[in-house]
Amino acid sequence: MTAIEPATEPWGPAPDGLDLPHWEGLVEGELRLQRCNACRAWIWGPQAICGSCHGFDIGWEKVEPAGTVYSWHRSWYPYMDEYAGRLPYVTVLVELPGADGRRVLGLLVDDIDEDPRIGDEVVGAIELDEGARWPLVRWCRVRAGSEGETR
Amino acid sequence: MSGRGMRGAAAVVGVAEQHYRRGEAPHGEKRMTLEAILAACADAGIDPRQIDGFVSYAGGSNDGAILGGALMIDELRWSNMMWGGGGGSVAAAITNAAAAIATGQAECVAVYRAMSQADTGRLGYAKYHYGSHFLAHGIGSPAQICAMRTQRMLEHGGVPREAMRSLVLAAYHHAQNNPTAQGYGRPLDVETYENSRLIAEPFHLFDCSRESDGAVALILVSAERARDLRQDPVYLLAGAQGAPGGFSELIDNDLGEQYMTAGFGPANNGKPGVAERLWTAAGLGPDDVDVVQVYENFSGPAVAALIDHGLCPPGEAAGEFMTVENLTAPSGKLPVNTSGGNLADSFVNGLNLAVEAVRQIRRTSPNQVVGAETSLFIGGPMAPLVSSVLFGNEDTL
Repeated sequence: MTAIEPATEPWGPAPDGLDLPHWEGLVEGELRLQRCNACRAWIWGPQAICGSCHGFDIGWEKVEPAGTVYSWHRSWYPYMDEYAGRLPYVTVLVELPGADGRRVLGLLVDDIDEDPRIGDEVVGAIELDEGARWPLVRWCRVRAGSEGETR
Repeated sequence: MSGRGMRGAAAVVGVAEQHYRRGEAPHGEKRMTLEAILAACADAGIDPRQIDGFVSYAGGSNDGAILGGALMIDELRWSNMMWGGGGGSVAAAITNAAAAIATGQAECVAVYRAMSQADTGRLGYAKYHYGSHFLAHGIGSPAQICAMRTQRMLEHGGVPREAMRSLVLAAYHHAQNNPTAQGYGRPLDVETYENSRLIAEPFHLFDCSRESDGAVALILVSAERARDLRQDPVYLLAGAQGAPGGFSELIDNDLGEQYMTAGFGPANNGKPGVAERLWTAAGLGPDDVDVVQVYENFSGPAVAALIDHGLCPPGEAAGEFMTVENLTAPSGKLPVNTSGGNLADSFVNGLNLAVEAVRQIRRTSPNQVVGAETSLFIGGPMAPLVSSVLFGNEDTL
């Protein structure tokens, strides 16, 4: 795997601490998203308020990193120095049934020469790149007809 | 409220633009802005000291007090920066000026934007605009955000990629008649388009706009005053801005099928959305539009914007409608980006397109649409806030 420059990544917990539990969850091996403690709505990206009930009592809950491709994109141009070594790379927007369809971004890391299709089933694994500070969820497609096995 | 109170109350009476290859501007943004404002005043036949309002959008540090002070205007009454949306608020800036005039807050308003790479870098690399949860996954530019939305429009929405290609080819076709266009003398054919390198899939090189250094200014006054000035008034029939709550907002979790739209479509809980509010305020509809300038930082968002406005059918039918023949002046069904647009003319954050929209009503476009009486300008599709404005001539009032 191409090394990312160590400890320079411009991501990680926001200065105000709003999404710290998400990043802590990744370190502990879990994908955690926000969920309203009052109305139980899932929330993503991180917000200080629940858009459904306007409550501020928002917790963090574990979500199974499994879902379907909502859209995708293959980057050919080095828009980000941190990812220039990976070009071309595929980013997927994954719809998570375990979080009422909230969508999260992530890299697709299986055979990315093969175009994904919207609706493809994907599963995520938490990976820490060499020299990186924060782990991230990376996604692979599930082979049709062989549940749980990735291609 | 129909929002029709502003219809025809204000008019664009002066325009000016200057553009250079990126990084090659002879002056900084402040001087270029002042030059553009003076040129637009000269175009209108107005003394620059009579300007009492300034409106810009997206960025820049030269506000109304700075420019008004430099010009030593008689009095500053209105100084606004549109919040949010980057290039999405370009048409909203024009509507803001008209609103000031219609309500008596100001009498002569300059709408302006300048970009110089030396002063403010390039928009395409605005990566720190994006939050952690985008950057962590390699998404750090507007191109990539628009690419993902476009991919869903193509693959899920069924819009053929050829719709994007036709829009690009039409822009380059128009640029061949515009000696100041950066794509002038560089015609584009299908083969060259298809063989160009991929940048942000599904966008090839030619699907992506250039960035220019330059400055653009428009001068607006009341309709009554406009009739005494040098140019034929270009009336603002309607303007609308906004987006469905949660659209984009850099979270990629907008509602329903909004993700594959450009943000002008129906909003949440049955609210009409930008396009429908525009048509209602104008008392006109998509069939009444003679010519369109649509902001195309990338081809896909522009196609989505035409669909949102009801100018182009959604899905497979978009491919049948979006042909080079239909999209080109002088007599296509819906000529678009008749100076060459952001793709083939110049890109000063899209305000150059407003100047071309005005030229069409004045009948001075390098690719004049026969009998153009209404001229639509659509700003910043797929941005977190979007806007459009409809211009018309005297006969449309």
